[in-house]
Amino acid sequence: MTTTLTRRVLLASALSLGLAGAAAAQFPERAVTLVIPFAAGGSTDVVGRIVAERMSQELGQQVVVQNVGGAGGSLGAQQVAKADADGYTILMGTVATHALNPLILKQKPYDPVADFAPVSLLVLVPNVLAVNPELPVNTVQELIDLAKTDPLAYASSGNGTPLHLSGELFKSMAGVDITHIPYKGSGPALTDVLGNQVPIIFDNLPSASSHISSGKLRALGVTTTERAPSFPDVPAIAETLPGYETYSWNALFAPAGTPPEAIEALAAAAKAAMADPAVAGRMAEFSATIVASTPEELAAHVTAEMEKWAPVVKDANVSLD
Amino acid sequence: MDLLSNLALGFSVASSLANLLFCLIGVILGTLIGVLPGIGATATIAMLLPITFQLEPVSSLIMLAGIYYGAQYGGSTTAILINMPGESSSAVTAIDGYQMARKGKAGTALATAAIGSFFAGTVATFLVAIFAPPLTTIALKFGAAEYFSLMVMGLVMSVALAHGSVLKALGMVVLGLLLGLVGTDIYTGAPRFTMGITQYADGLNFVAVAVGVFGIAEILRNLEDEHDRQVMTKNINRLFPTREELRGMVGPILRGTGIGSVLGILPGGGAILASFASYTVEKKLSRHPEEFGKGALAGVAGPESANNAGAQTSFIPLLTLGIPANPVMALMIGAMIIQGIVPGPNVVTEQPALFWGIVASMWIGNLMLVVLNLPLIGLWVKLLTVPYYVLFPIIMAMCSIGVYSVASNPYDLFAVAFFGLLGYVLSKLRCEPAPLLLGFVLGPLLEENLRRAMILSRGDPTTFVTRPISLGLLIASLAVLALVFLPQIRKRRDEVFTESDA
Amino acid sequence: MSTKPKDNTDLIAGVFLMATGLFFGWQALGLELGTSLRMGPGYFPLVLSGLLVLIGLLVLLKAFGREDEPFGLIAWRGIMFILPAPVFFGLTVRGLGFVPALFVTTLIASQASMRMRPLPALGLAVAVTILATLVFSYGLGLPFRRFGPWLPF
Repeated sequence: MTTTLTRRVLLASALSLGLAGAAAAQFPERAVTLVIPFAAGGSTDVVGRIVAERMSQELGQQVVVQNVGGAGGSLGAQQVAKADADGYTILMGTVATHALNPLILKQKPYDPVADFAPVSLLVLVPNVLAVNPELPVNTVQELIDLAKTDPLAYASSGNGTPLHLSGELFKSMAGVDITHIPYKGSGPALTDVLGNQVPIIFDNLPSASSHISSGKLRALGVTTTERAPSFPDVPAIAETLPGYETYSWNALFAPAGTPPEAIEALAAAAKAAMADPAVAGRMAEFSATIVASTPEELAAHVTAEMEKWAPVVKDANVSLD
Repeated sequence: MDLLSNLALGFSVASSLANLLFCLIGVILGTLIGVLPGIGATATIAMLLPITFQLEPVSSLIMLAGIYYGAQYGGSTTAILINMPGESSSAVTAIDGYQMARKGKAGTALATAAIGSFFAGTVATFLVAIFAPPLTTIALKFGAAEYFSLMVMGLVMSVALAHGSVLKALGMVVLGLLLGLVGTDIYTGAPRFTMGITQYADGLNFVAVAVGVFGIAEILRNLEDEHDRQVMTKNINRLFPTREELRGMVGPILRGTGIGSVLGILPGGGAILASFASYTVEKKLSRHPEEFGKGALAGVAGPESANNAGAQTSFIPLLTLGIPANPVMALMIGAMIIQGIVPGPNVVTEQPALFWGIVASMWIGNLMLVVLNLPLIGLWVKLLTVPYYVLFPIIMAMCSIGVYSVASNPYDLFAVAFFGLLGYVLSKLRCEPAPLLLGFVLGPLLEENLRRAMILSRGDPTTFVTRPISLGLLIASLAVLALVFLPQIRKRRDEVFTESDA
Repeated sequence: MSTKPKDNTDLIAGVFLMATGLFFGWQALGLELGTSLRMGPGYFPLVLSGLLVLIGLLVLLKAFGREDEPFGLIAWRGIMFILPAPVFFGLTVRGLGFVPALFVTTLIASQASMRMRPLPALGLAVAVTILATLVFSYGLGLPFRRFGPWLPF
């Protein structure tokens, strides 16, 4: 009996070694689908497409973008969480899908840690606090002072988005009460601020950059602790409010259980893509800081982000049932 | 004058062989897409974004723009032929266009749509070229209160859309409003009427509702009695409109162009109203209002011009400010960013070739569309002679693919089936679908802006009348309301009241 | 006893509108209502639901005293085959893949007409599937798997 068992074990190990060998040698054998959980044309989408294009060259197989928007990114994330864990379906996750939505949604459609295998943290994107030029403030401090006497309002791209929460964090740290006006996305929010219907906006820097350059918006501060290279004259909000830090980020995730060889191949391709000077140049144009981390670093990052945002979400009393 | 030299620059860019080719590809693709129920310009442009990597910025934008207004042309084709609006803006064209087709005047309807669209496209392009900056300034003055009042005006117009029982039409509008509210409340994040289905968190898909309520309901109606009922009269008239018909088109086309051009600029949802508004105006000004709903030419000419004008002028906020007026424009912004162009006020000055090239190509595209579409009318009309029982499975197949391709969401398809049944039930109950659709579109906008205006004014309801533009719109709404009801009160009920089967 | 004329169709229509209004109203009550000046998510829907019930009632009342109009036939066969078609497609396109799902969908839809004989139905389904696959899957490059994971090949 022992002999049969030993034979079975030997057979099983031989088979699995063979399969593993086969997998390692040949990933990817066909096109990889990159699910972008937001609408086409948005900032996550643009970053995703640029990276996907370059990764296709690295991997020797097409990386095809599929937009699955809805529920603030949850639909796309959910789809990838449930996809086959073979490395052929990956997700462009963001701070919204992997930190905010899990904290905000009462019914969690997925678990950001357990359902996903991290691949690589690609970029960090700063947000910016900007005002319509007609508002008579030039610095963050002046805004805080004004907010203490006048009732003001700020626009954001929606309830529970990183921009909304950046605004809420600002309010709690600065001790001011500015009314939150949510819009369906950055576009409408920007429109109303440009038209001076609402004086203040928290937006992500790439989307607001052209308006800041042309003077239609006055940038008061960026939300990262360091100044953005593309706008060196704009101070960090942390210079006035020490400890204030928010930013958006984009990262690649695969479903949990994806074979390590696939993850390694994807991570390596992502790293090489981000190292490409052309890609790096485009990212700099978006004021995005390249990270191109390892899977372990991403895992740590996700945990840290969830810990960071939890108190902000609680204080802001945001809940998306 | 600068303008002439700019236009010359634009035309020289747009008429390069490569760009002409891309324009052609774009408009052909757009027309095909528009014809297919479900899949629309948004989905197609999204799918073609990777191609923009390989092309020059001007070329890719010309092609994408071509797809957009090409889809407007194509959408009216199916609206007229099978009562299935291919694009949201073609829903109004379906009302009278389809009735014209059933009477054998499909060719005339299609030609009217093409001519009206071309004229509107030309005028609107001209407006984009010259008046873009001042128009944008006006657009920016529209805040939440103004949009609310605009939507109120839209609602009032919905009453005019009704050609049967006004009371039931009102019911349809309210039902549409409620259906439009399905989804996540943007102010509190609370899900409303979603029954716990995450896929409906962003609301019901407009295409699913329109295809179901208009198209599928119509198919079901046609299947009621297969023995005697003829879906279309086999007697097809001449394809091109008569002199008299051409003369009758002039007014609606001019008015539709004006209405569409103005409404298209408003980023917050003006263009949607364009075709509905035009229909209302034409019905009120017509000497034969009872024809509306049964195949009135003006009911096709006006709205078609309006929606094409709106499609062109919705480029204005994009090109001058870098603000998207609708989801398609948002995609264009994405395409520009991928190319390394940052959309915004600087584009006109920093990249004049790009700006004027796009403007010039818009006119060229419109020209190509009318040249392409007029001869195709003969082909489309021939298609109508295919026996219905062969046609409708094809339609169902195309529908399913089209609707699914928008968001890869199976729940959209369930919605199509549900709304097909609902549309059929409603038509048996003699309730009309058009006001429902208008309510569906207006509902979320109405509420969003109402609440936003109240938040911005800190709970002061007089904001709607203290702000001048808002006040003006509300007064206009009252005027329209009066116009709608006065004839009803004066004339005897039985004279005016036509119990038509919707 | 003379029967008062009543329009049955409008009667049903009125009931339908009222029922729908009540349904939406019931759902809206589960939401926060807020105040008139600071509306919650349930405020507007509740107002609309109330309005719908009212309109439904008016339609109902006006149904009395009006002659009935013939209701017409109901397309039962149509309902039975047309409506499931897109539903089927939605359920199976990811599992079966584009090609089989479309084929069966077209087949189902074609049965809605009693004029369609089995052989032409099959032929139509084949033709539609081939053309659609060429145009959508190959031509436009829509991201659908042609043959899905439920099938052995």
